[in-house]
Amino acid sequence: MIVNFTTVAIVAMVCWALGTLLSILARRTPALKIPAFVLSLGGSLFMAAFIAFYWSILDRPPLRTLGETRLWYAALIPLVGFLVEYRWKIEWLKYYCMALAAFFLCINLLHPEVFDKTLMPALQSPWFIPHVIVYLVGYVLLAASSVTALHNVYLQLRHKGNDNGESVSHYLALLGFVLLSFGLIFGALWAKEAWGHYWTWDPKETWAFLSWLAYLGYLHAWRYKIDRSKLQWYLALSFVVLLVCWFGVNYLPSAANSVHTYSQS
Amino acid sequence: MVVVPRRLFQPPWEFREAALFTAVAVFAGFAFQYAASGQGVALPHLPFNAIALALFAVFVLSVGLGFKNNPMVKWFGGIPLGLCLIFAIALLSLIGGVVPQEAIKPGSLSALLGINQIFSSWPFALAILLFLANLGLSLSWKLVPFKLKNLQFILFHAGFWIALSCAIFGTPDLQRLVMKVDEGQESNLGYSMESETPQKLPFSVFLHNFSLEEYPPQLFLYDPQSGQPLEELTKTTTLVHKGVKASWKNVDVEVLDFLPYALPGKNGVPEPADHKAGISFAKVKISSGSAQREEWITTGSPMVDTKDAQVGALYLGIRAGTPKAFRSEVTVHDDNGQQTMATLEVNHPINFTDWKLYQMGYDQKAGRWSQFSLIELIRDPWLPAVYLGFFMIMAGNILFFWNGIKRTEGAS
Repeated sequence: MIVNFTTVAIVAMVCWALGTLLSILARRTPALKIPAFVLSLGGSLFMAAFIAFYWSILDRPPLRTLGETRLWYAALIPLVGFLVEYRWKIEWLKYYCMALAAFFLCINLLHPEVFDKTLMPALQSPWFIPHVIVYLVGYVLLAASSVTALHNVYLQLRHKGNDNGESVSHYLALLGFVLLSFGLIFGALWAKEAWGHYWTWDPKETWAFLSWLAYLGYLHAWRYKIDRSKLQWYLALSFVVLLVCWFGVNYLPSAANSVHTYSQS
Repeated sequence: MVVVPRRLFQPPWEFREAALFTAVAVFAGFAFQYAASGQGVALPHLPFNAIALALFAVFVLSVGLGFKNNPMVKWFGGIPLGLCLIFAIALLSLIGGVVPQEAIKPGSLSALLGINQIFSSWPFALAILLFLANLGLSLSWKLVPFKLKNLQFILFHAGFWIALSCAIFGTPDLQRLVMKVDEGQESNLGYSMESETPQKLPFSVFLHNFSLEEYPPQLFLYDPQSGQPLEELTKTTTLVHKGVKASWKNVDVEVLDFLPYALPGKNGVPEPADHKAGISFAKVKISSGSAQREEWITTGSPMVDTKDAQVGALYLGIRAGTPKAFRSEVTVHDDNGQQTMATLEVNHPINFTDWKLYQMGYDQKAGRWSQFSLIELIRDPWLPAVYLGFFMIMAGNILFFWNGIKRTEGAS
């Protein structure tokens, strides 16, 4: 199993690295554009194929542990980069996205998880896949939004104008917020079926609520026409709250009472 | 032109006033909590909480519509105060997300300030109430006169108002009880977290049968000194089935035969048995260095001893798998002659009158042989209102998503 993962991860990272190299060269030689895109996309397709394969041998969706969710991020984040390039003609985001994907794969390579087929009864529900997938895609978009915002901050510090970049970070945050809301409500509806109540201020729920509030605050500040360039800082930092919610919660003192810790100790 | 900076409290009010107001409110909340010796907010039950909420809603809406142009009211329903209150709620939630929310020694500073139960504390309640007022005012201005282009705003904000207010005001009416029923017995008593005296329910539950399904047992090699299992060379865990192989440093194991349900037989060879009484046996071939041998090992049960195989200073064992599913076959009936037969399972609760019944637990020491089932009984009369809010938020979000996409297309 792990041997396979190592191979796939390395192949995917090589694809992204070569894709990056070729697309930088493509600035001078436009003919390289297509092979560059095929290679970069290929990295994500390898990951997607690995997830499908992993799913079939696990007999359950590989969405239970943090390591398993990182596989999905690695496959999906570069796709957001490609979409933004296609939609807004912004090229640089995909490099950050591929680097982030490679970073997630490295975490998994350095900390291989125990291969475990079991799925506790609480997770055996039709809500499992929609709840987690909606959150995954939401986090992916917000990660991309935060990376864009950081890039915008960097450009500001070098006194370069960048309206397009600010609208990209904004719309990625908007889409991410919509998905966070769905994830939160799907989670509440599922909790009612599985644990009896839709909201119990479990630490994971509290942090999910906090992340949602952070982006709710951003959208209102944006609406109120607060200086957009200052809001790039806010967006870049909001992702920190999401990161705590995603895997930081397990390390907090409050996690002792959480029903949401599915990763192995 | 010389721009003169606006002084604090000089109209029109904005962020500084909002931040100050919010800070004072949160501080007053903590002061209340301290003055009440750490006692949280006690809300009334139905119908009084519903009346209070309806009066509050009518008050907010009429102030919003009646004093639409008053600068103070405008400020109170504006984004600056809304943002400051969101920030305050986030900050209080942050306390709840970091500090464990559990009973602590009364009289300590955390207990007096309600830090350990922040979500039922005065500062939190006050922040939520002010937030509902702020949200309600902004909503009233978009509601009247109604315009279709405000639909997304109305659905999202009204949905949030309804879900939040009903969830909070409805808390006292939420009943969560736990019932323990023995196999072949009936019960109508539920225990709450707060008290040891059971509550009599308007219905009874008869437990026909409790059953538990397990994943296959796990194979592991452990050190009897530390009790810790050793990591397999593949860094995986092996679920036992016939033909499976596992390797550790210097030790290779192959499962030659696997009987999921069996009992000890003659000459140490187990014999297949029925599901209810049987336990798992595995015949393993252990190769360590040049030595090789075959042996039967078993998970054991409350009735039969566990048997592991010794491998030098280590032991090889199999342990019952983790629960895959557990279910209770029950009949629920009340005095009015209403009766339902159903199977309760995790994620598959059943409805009976206005109660919901959940499979909660069992005797964990006995595992598969548990003689009783724990059933959770929940009644929440406010649930439909909260769900209405949820669905409005989702509908508003779909429109938000759609409008967001459309606007980008227009912009580019």
